[in-house]
Amino acid sequence: MAESYRRSSWSNALFILPYMSVFITLLVFPLFWGMWLSLNKTDLFGGAKFIGIKNYIRVFNDPVFAQAVWNTVVFVLVSVPTLVALGLFLALALNKTTKGSSFLRGLFFSSSVLSVTIVTLIWRFVFVPGDGLLYLIFTKMGWETINFLSTEGWSLFAVGVATVWWCLGLPMMLFLASLQQIPGDLYEAAALDNASRWRILTRITLPSIKSTILLVTVVQIVFQFQLFGQAQLMTNGGPSGTSRPIVMYIYETGFIRWDVGMGAAASEVLFLIILVAAMVQYWVTSNKEEA
Amino acid sequence: MKSVLLATASVALLGMATLAHADTTIELQRFFGACDADYGTNTDVASAVGECGIITSLVNKFEADNPGIKVNVTTVEWPGYNQLNAQLASNAAPDVVSMHYTAISDYQSRGLLIPLDDLLASQGIKPDDFTDAARGGSTKEGKMFALPFDNWAMLFHVNLNLMKEAGLVKEDGTPILPSSVDEFFAQGKQFKEKTGKPYLVQVYANETAAYTRMFYTTMMQQKYDFFADPKKIDLSGPEAKAALEFMKKTHDDGLSSLGMDYTAAVSGFSSGKGGIAVNGTWLIGDYDAQSKEEGNALSGGYTVYPVPQFFAAKNATYVDGHGWVIPRGDRDDEKMAAIGKLFKFLKDNDFEWARTGHLPAVKSVFDMPEFKALPHRDNIAPISVIGQSLPPEVMRQFAIQDIIGEEVGAAVNGDKSIDDAIERIETRVNDLLGNI
Amino acid sequence: MAGKRKDTYSPEWLTANRWFFWIAAFLACVMAAPVLWVTALSFKDNALLMRGTEAVFSAPYTLKNYFDLLHSSLVFRWVLNSMVVAIGQTAGVLILASLAGYAFARLEFPFRKTIFVIVLFGLAVPEQAVIIARHQMFSWLQLHNTYWGLMLPGMSSAFGVFLMTQFFRAIPREIDEAALLDNTPRFRIFWKVLMPLTMPAQATLGIFTFLLAWNDYWWPLISATKKDMYTLTIGIASSQRNFAQSEGLGFLAAQAVFAALPAVIVYIFFQRHIVTAVSGGAVK
Repeated sequence: MAESYRRSSWSNALFILPYMSVFITLLVFPLFWGMWLSLNKTDLFGGAKFIGIKNYIRVFNDPVFAQAVWNTVVFVLVSVPTLVALGLFLALALNKTTKGSSFLRGLFFSSSVLSVTIVTLIWRFVFVPGDGLLYLIFTKMGWETINFLSTEGWSLFAVGVATVWWCLGLPMMLFLASLQQIPGDLYEAAALDNASRWRILTRITLPSIKSTILLVTVVQIVFQFQLFGQAQLMTNGGPSGTSRPIVMYIYETGFIRWDVGMGAAASEVLFLIILVAAMVQYWVTSNKEEA
Repeated sequence: MKSVLLATASVALLGMATLAHADTTIELQRFFGACDADYGTNTDVASAVGECGIITSLVNKFEADNPGIKVNVTTVEWPGYNQLNAQLASNAAPDVVSMHYTAISDYQSRGLLIPLDDLLASQGIKPDDFTDAARGGSTKEGKMFALPFDNWAMLFHVNLNLMKEAGLVKEDGTPILPSSVDEFFAQGKQFKEKTGKPYLVQVYANETAAYTRMFYTTMMQQKYDFFADPKKIDLSGPEAKAALEFMKKTHDDGLSSLGMDYTAAVSGFSSGKGGIAVNGTWLIGDYDAQSKEEGNALSGGYTVYPVPQFFAAKNATYVDGHGWVIPRGDRDDEKMAAIGKLFKFLKDNDFEWARTGHLPAVKSVFDMPEFKALPHRDNIAPISVIGQSLPPEVMRQFAIQDIIGEEVGAAVNGDKSIDDAIERIETRVNDLLGNI
Repeated sequence: MAGKRKDTYSPEWLTANRWFFWIAAFLACVMAAPVLWVTALSFKDNALLMRGTEAVFSAPYTLKNYFDLLHSSLVFRWVLNSMVVAIGQTAGVLILASLAGYAFARLEFPFRKTIFVIVLFGLAVPEQAVIIARHQMFSWLQLHNTYWGLMLPGMSSAFGVFLMTQFFRAIPREIDEAALLDNTPRFRIFWKVLMPLTMPAQATLGIFTFLLAWNDYWWPLISATKKDMYTLTIGIASSQRNFAQSEGLGFLAAQAVFAALPAVIVYIFFQRHIVTAVSGGAVK
């Protein structure tokens, strides 16, 4: 029996059948359908006309799309490492059974419970000029005030701060779950050796959760490339499109302009970008890890 | 014999029962919010306040007056078009929907709305009953596609207290407002020097609509037909540049509040951060109520006027409005008759809706003494005549508004040169319209 | 060696941890202040807030916003809908992802590696690439305005499978070996032995799927278009006037607090499993 456990057999595949059925019908099939839509000129109400790759040509020639890609890439490059590092830090700091830790864990999680509408409402009040919290602090300190939400460059930063505040909960909890799975004897052995705290951290803890670090990074790359609500509600993609993410471009094209074919094309391009970014990260890290 | 009588009687009763059929239900979908707590069962329309309160009470009253007709109201988040599109795509659209005039052309051109001329005529409603501005917004290809409900526009909400400080109030208590571009800058400068505050309180951040509306208004006032061809925007004329330069100079000369989003601009005017708020008809009620209270920036000193005529060519202001449309679908005669009755009721009660601050769509309301008695309405009544929309065939007006607003905002705030902004607007809008 | 109750860190850690702890406490203030502020807003009258939000720091306070909320005729129906959808979707994801994660991590079957890569590709698919197609599909299948219609799309997410696979892999194989010596069938190994060891991962996946479903906006917006099928998120959005942020701020805040409560309760319920008193370490 022990051997048949490892022997390849179709009956083992029964375990993945439920998920794969849902995956294929609700993800793969619509994905290909969407690809078909991207090759057509169509709105939501029928009358599709096949036009080949014209939508893609239009998307690639659109400077607004190029700007959106740039904005999103910059956003991901800054927000993902921040989320991973902060999440890890908090997990290490709060991985205790004391009441204080428990309370703090709940607190850091609490922001994730809120909907995007209220998150952007909250951060609007921090960043808005005139009455905003930062404005008050800056004037008190005698610094020159910055109009965060209507200055090119700062607007994306403001969106980033709100996003990190909102999304910190998941990385922290994933790291916590992973730290919990480290076998206790590893630490006992280290204690016997009188290893320093730093050595324990770098030689035992971090390597043990390496796969989780990878998981969190890949997942955050995927999530943050799909930035939308925070940008739309806080800055409306502005000023002058400098905080417009790709998904907002897709939304405007498909839903406001009724150009479903072009919106589908843009979302296929986004898919490709996310795929490349996530897979590169995955392969680079797991090749180092595979024993 | 008895059994025959019994049988006949029961058949007759059954027949009568089927004749006394079930209620007709109209599915009505609208924005304007939900306020069941305060107005869920209210039928006293005159006591209702605000868009939500008044429309909810109107529908309740209609149901009360028409036993046998039920109106099932579904509220949607403003503006509700994502949901409507999804419903139309799956052939599950409601019977009556609230829609902006600027959105009608998109749906009408795809055959998604039914023309209403016959239905309105059957209820004795004539297109002439409505104001030019309202009729213009609802008519496409010569037919009416919406029951006009109101018009709204951007206005100059004036803080008389601050204007007094700036020496810009006449003997009779009315404010001195500019009647030309030069007067605007002169008066604005005077206001700034005397009060130390910006002349205008405008929405400059996180917003596209405010920029676009002002841009349209200033071009319309120069009698510039930028959509002479509805499929193409043409900003090559000097009027477009003049409009942008006007807006930019307002910003550069410090005559406007800076960096405020909608919420900040609304509360900014309330707390006296500037002399004139450039904002919509829907705020008249709130600001007027505030001015009636003691101890705030607007106490005893609020009035409102249409956007002044800055350019001599034409007195015009950009307007939009709300109407009620019927999506395509199979409906039996009974339901159509019921909808007709509802439309007649809404038209007859347009005065009540005008209490929200929006301008009435029905001409006769302007002559009603009750309407004239509403605060400040005589100041803004001219908009029903000078109000102008884009040509009826222009499509994707919401999308165009976003593009123009973004580029105009960039030019006004100095992120882009005026020429660049104009070029980008033309490229982007014409690409959009050319690919429909 | 018998497994014993053990904190993950030995006592000497505590000193160094103190720095960690106080930095975390400072960050906690950054986290807490906005939430407290929104809660305070919910107790103020809309008209007063419209004039300026400093009003929140002074009386009078009111319960009117909550009163209005609870008297909104459908709000409890919306809560019910959100509950059914969120719980159903969470249960579905936990079951599907655990089964698949176990198989990908431990079992051999033809094309296992290829299929896993395909699932990973699925992780990269943005919602916009599939939402319109799904909408049309569900129109044909008449699944709109149904609970299944709202729950199913979320169950296709590859995140859960990816997560569970990683966590199953992290369990030492010796545990399987022990059970295999007794000729235990695979499903029993999965159910009785390994699943309990992934409790922290289950709880994390559970909470986040619940949250994702609870706060989901786009799909319910276009699929649940009848007001009695609205989820709480959509229902709340629909009942707001335009410019709710300026004219109805107090009410908006009350809605936000109300909408957040069930999720907070779910978190409290699940979080006991995330950092457990008994370390999830190996028992030998």
